[in-house]
This record gives sequence, C-alpha cells and structure tokens, in this order.
Amino acid sequence: MTSNRRLPQALGSLGVGLVLAVLSHPAVATSIAALLGAPGRRPLAAGRVIELAEHHLALAGLGLMLVGVLGVGLGVVATRVSARGWRNGIDTAAAVAQAVPPVVVVALALPVLGFGGPPTLLALLAYGIMPTLRGTIGAIEAVSPDARQAGIALGLTPRQVLTQIELPLAGAGILDALRVALVLSIATTAVGALAGASTLGTPIVAGLQNQNLLPMLQGASATAALAFLGDALMLAAAVLLRRSLDR
Amino acid sequence: MRAGVARVGKPGWVGLRPLLPMLVIAVAVAGVAGTLDMLRLAANRLVVGTPVGAEIFGQSGWLIAGLSLLGGGFLGARSSRPAALAALVTFCAALMLLSLTLCTAASDLIAWQPPAARARLASGAWTALVLLTAATIWAAGRTGLRRAGWFTAAGLTTAVLLVYRSGAYDGLSLAVEYRARAAAVQAALVQHVALSAAAVVLAAMSCALLYLWRAGRGAIKIAINGLQVVPAVALLGGLVALVSGVLAAIPGLRAVGLSALGAGPAILAIAAYLLLPFWRGLEGALRAAEPESVDAATAIGLTPRQILLELRLPIGTPILVGALRVASVQAIGLATLGALVGAGGLGGIVFDGMAQFAPDLILLGALPVIGLSLVVERGLSVVEDWARRSQRG
Repeated sequence: MTSNRRLPQALGSLGVGLVLAVLSHPAVATSIAALLGAPGRRPLAAGRVIELAEHHLALAGLGLMLVGVLGVGLGVVATRVSARGWRNGIDTAAAVAQAVPPVVVVALALPVLGFGGPPTLLALLAYGIMPTLRGTIGAIEAVSPDARQAGIALGLTPRQVLTQIELPLAGAGILDALRVALVLSIATTAVGALAGASTLGTPIVAGLQNQNLLPMLQGASATAALAFLGDALMLAAAVLLRRSLDR
Repeated sequence: MRAGVARVGKPGWVGLRPLLPMLVIAVAVAGVAGTLDMLRLAANRLVVGTPVGAEIFGQSGWLIAGLSLLGGGFLGARSSRPAALAALVTFCAALMLLSLTLCTAASDLIAWQPPAARARLASGAWTALVLLTAATIWAAGRTGLRRAGWFTAAGLTTAVLLVYRSGAYDGLSLAVEYRARAAAVQAALVQHVALSAAAVVLAAMSCALLYLWRAGRGAIKIAINGLQVVPAVALLGGLVALVSGVLAAIPGLRAVGLSALGAGPAILAIAAYLLLPFWRGLEGALRAAEPESVDAATAIGLTPRQILLELRLPIGTPILVGALRVASVQAIGLATLGALVGAGGLGGIVFDGMAQFAPDLILLGALPVIGLSLVVERGLSVVEDWARRSQRG
C-alpha cells in the first residue's frame, strides 16, 4: 500500500469512528431506537460508556504492548539466525494459533486463570503474537538485499545494519502488522466480556442476554468506534513515518 | 560460505550442537514434571480439585522421559532420514505411553472415591501432551517425506480411538463428561459445520455477484476492508439490535420467518467477514493469467466468456482454493461466537461450560472447534498444493 492511499484511508477510518462514537451516546442511541419503533429502555449513561471504554483501552493497550514487544522482538531474532527451519516452525505455529479462536482461548483459560482480565490478556497474546511475528519477518525480509549489502560495504556493524537500514525500511510493513494486531486486540478484548472482564463487550453480552436493545447498540457502536479510531491512528503513524523517511 | 566462517569462529557451539535437542527436552521434562500438576482430583465435575504431581506416574514417568530424551538424541545425532524416522517412532511411543499412563493414574485416583469424583488432566499433562505433539510434528517434518505428517496423525488418531473404545480412558473426567453428552456434542458439531458452511457459501456467492458490478468495485472494496475493522461481538450485537428494531417497525416481516436471534444473523455476520478473503482471492485469481496468454487467446478468436472459463479460472484455481481455506478457518472460529445470538453450534457447549464453570464441558466444546479448523486448514492446503502442482504439469 502506498502512502498516498494511506492518508485518505486514515481520514475515512477517523470519520467512521467519530460517527460510531456519537452513536454510542445515550441520547443519540435512544432516538435511533425510537426511530425504529423499539421502546427505549434504560440506556447506558455516557459516563458508564466512557468508563467501560477506558477499561477496554487499558486492557487492549496492555495486550498490544506485549504483543508488539514479543512479536516484533521475536521477528527480529528470527531474521537474525537466518535459519530456514525456523520459518517452517513459525508458519506451523501460526496456523495452529489461528485455529484457536479468541473465544476458545478465553473459555479454556477461565478455569485456570479465573474471571476477568487474565484470561482476556492470554487470549490477546495467543491470538496477536503470530500475525505480528509473521508480518515483522515478512517486512524485514522484503528489505532489498542491495540496501543491506551497501550498509555492510560502508562498514556498518550488524547491529547498525539492523537499526539504521533494516528497521527503517521495514517500518511501514511492521506498522501494518501492528495495525492489524491493534484491531484484533480491540475485538478480542470485547470477547473478554464473556469471561467477566469489564469492557465495552459487557453491555453487548448483557443486552443479548436480557433482550435490552439499547445498551447492545451503544456497546456495539462504541467498540467499533474504538477499533476504527485505533485503525486511523496507526494509519496516520504510517503516513508520518513515510514522510520522515522521504525527507 | 559465511556459515563455515562462523563455525570456525565458535568451536564450542559445534561440539554442543548434536546434544542441543536432548538438552532442550531435558529442561522441558524437568520443568513440566518438577513444577506443574499432572492431574487434579475433584469431588465433583464443577470444582477445580486438589493437584496431583508427576510422582503418581511411577516408573512409567521415567520411561516417558527416557523415550523423549532418546528421540531428541536421534534428532541431534545426525540429520538423516533414518534418524528422523527413529525419532518420530520414539516420540509417538512416548505420546501414547503418556496418554495411557495418565488414564491409568486417573482410574487409580477415582477407584475408591464416590461416583461424583472426577480425575481431571491438569496443566502439566496438557503441557506435556502439547510439547510431545510438537516434537512429533517436528520429527515428521525432518523426515522430509511428504505424507509423513498425515500418516502419523492418522496412526495416532486410530490408536487413540481404539484405546477409547477399549475403555482405558474411562477414568478421565473428559471421557466421563463426553459419555454423558455424546448426542449433544455430535449435534452441536453438525450444527457448527452447517453454520460455517452456510456462511462460506453465502459469502462466496455474494462476493462473485458483487464482483460482477464493475463500476462499484472500488467502493465495495473499501466497504469490505472497513468491515474487517468492526469487532465480531460488536457486529453480532449491532446486527441483532438493528434487525429487532426493523422487526419492531415492520411486524409483518416476522411472518416471513425473519427473526433477530438464531442462525440467520449469525450466518450473516460470519459471511460479512469472509467477503475479504474471497474478494482478494477472486482478484488474484483473475489476474493470475499472463496478459500474453490472454492476448493469444483473443487472437485465436476465443470469446471473453471462453477466456474466463478456459484460461483465467483454471490458472487461478489454486488461489481460489487458498481463499476458500482462509475463509473456512475463519468461519469455523467465528461460528463459535454464533452461540451468543442463539445460533447453537459448539460455541453453545463452550458457553454452557463457562456459565457452569465446568472445565470439562468447556473442553468438550473447544477441542472439536480446534480439531475442525486444523483438519479443514490442512485438508484444503493439500488441495491447494495439489492444484498448484497439477497446473505446472
């Protein structure tokens, strides 16, 4: 994806995110439900939505941080040892990890880790690391061998080749992987509500259980708003990175 | 060349290299046996129970550890096919021995207990099973034989089924739970497959139809990409909220069979996420034919329809199968969430287990989901490889 397509994409995500955020406001949600003819019962107060969004962001952010450090770190290590055998192992592990959906990780961790945050965090890790790791490896391997050779010819140490040539050139690809990881982590955190974590998924699950349409609508639009805003943020970061490289 | 230089530079590592797999396995065995619990004895199916360590295995435990180390020794000794095959056989033997030992230990544990007591696999047993499976996969890969993994998987599955039929696993809480709910689990499995398949078919058909609308392709692509950002729980919640709102506004729709809960909204939501893999597959597949071949086909007088059916689609088949693989695995995972809106499937069993806090019931729903996705993923990637090979000649 080129950078001149990223900027409109970021603005699009920002716009959709803002609209959805407005939708999650109790007054707006109530009037939409009224428009559809459904009686508006007990909407969530704006303060409660914000509180849940804060919990959601804290949990997803912590997960993303761990996923980023482990995924990108392991990706860098895996490209250092340059052993083909590792790639097969990583691909197999990625396929296996993908076969275990986040709900299942949350459910399996429940008896061991108890209710709330820990099982959700485990699901965030289990589901996020492999795509990030693969994306990082792909991005670093896509750096042209010429650039690497030029660095070696200039007398750079392997560490300098990594920090001054490979990482800046692979930056866009790594940011793309992290963007996917961010969207995944916001979705997985919503699933964590099933294990009793207090996130924006909570009103959705509760609303589905007691047939209360309003909190369901509010929770759904707030969760989606967070995902779109995060997406916009990462796209904007990619644009900034590109600009700083061009300069 | 560079590898040679590195070897000269670090002679200490060269001596250790053959021992490396054995050392890793030794550390893993010591870690699992020393720190984790193998089984848990619970008074009933809902409590977690008291932990039981690896000492319950007795001599079989040492035999399993010895077999695992031997397998590691084979793998490290030399990188030849016989060595890898020997390691594969050793790891398989260790795996079967571990499962039998666990079950014997479980039967012994509950032998003098009241009927409600359960012996449950604990973290150490699961870790050991997963690590040994990983070692087996690794050894199967090292043999370099194309079907080694499949034969191993088939052999192990048959062995486990035979042992289950013989009743040796009956002491395990999972087997007890399964026997109590076999019919429900099987029905849920069928329902799960039906949900995923319906979503895959719906997504494939809508994707093909949408692709026909040439002018709208740009906008559709943006919409499909945007949909991926929406979290699944939010999409399900939003869909149910909207459909029930519409049904409240136009009650006549209920008579047509439309409802806010059930399989309908779940299939719709799952299919929405599958549009992207199919769209990418379709784009890639139609672009796979080289422009020269298309020009040549046009020159010899083939109609666009013939070019599509006889040139573009056959060349793009592997890519389309790849798209089907990605979409199917996603569908199986997402269908688990379908139980949230009352669509049933294996997710229903998982959620029941979570609500009752019954670990075995959760596993009973979760294991088939994992198995199903792995089988579909592997199976379709074999088809994909086969299509790719048959194309080359």
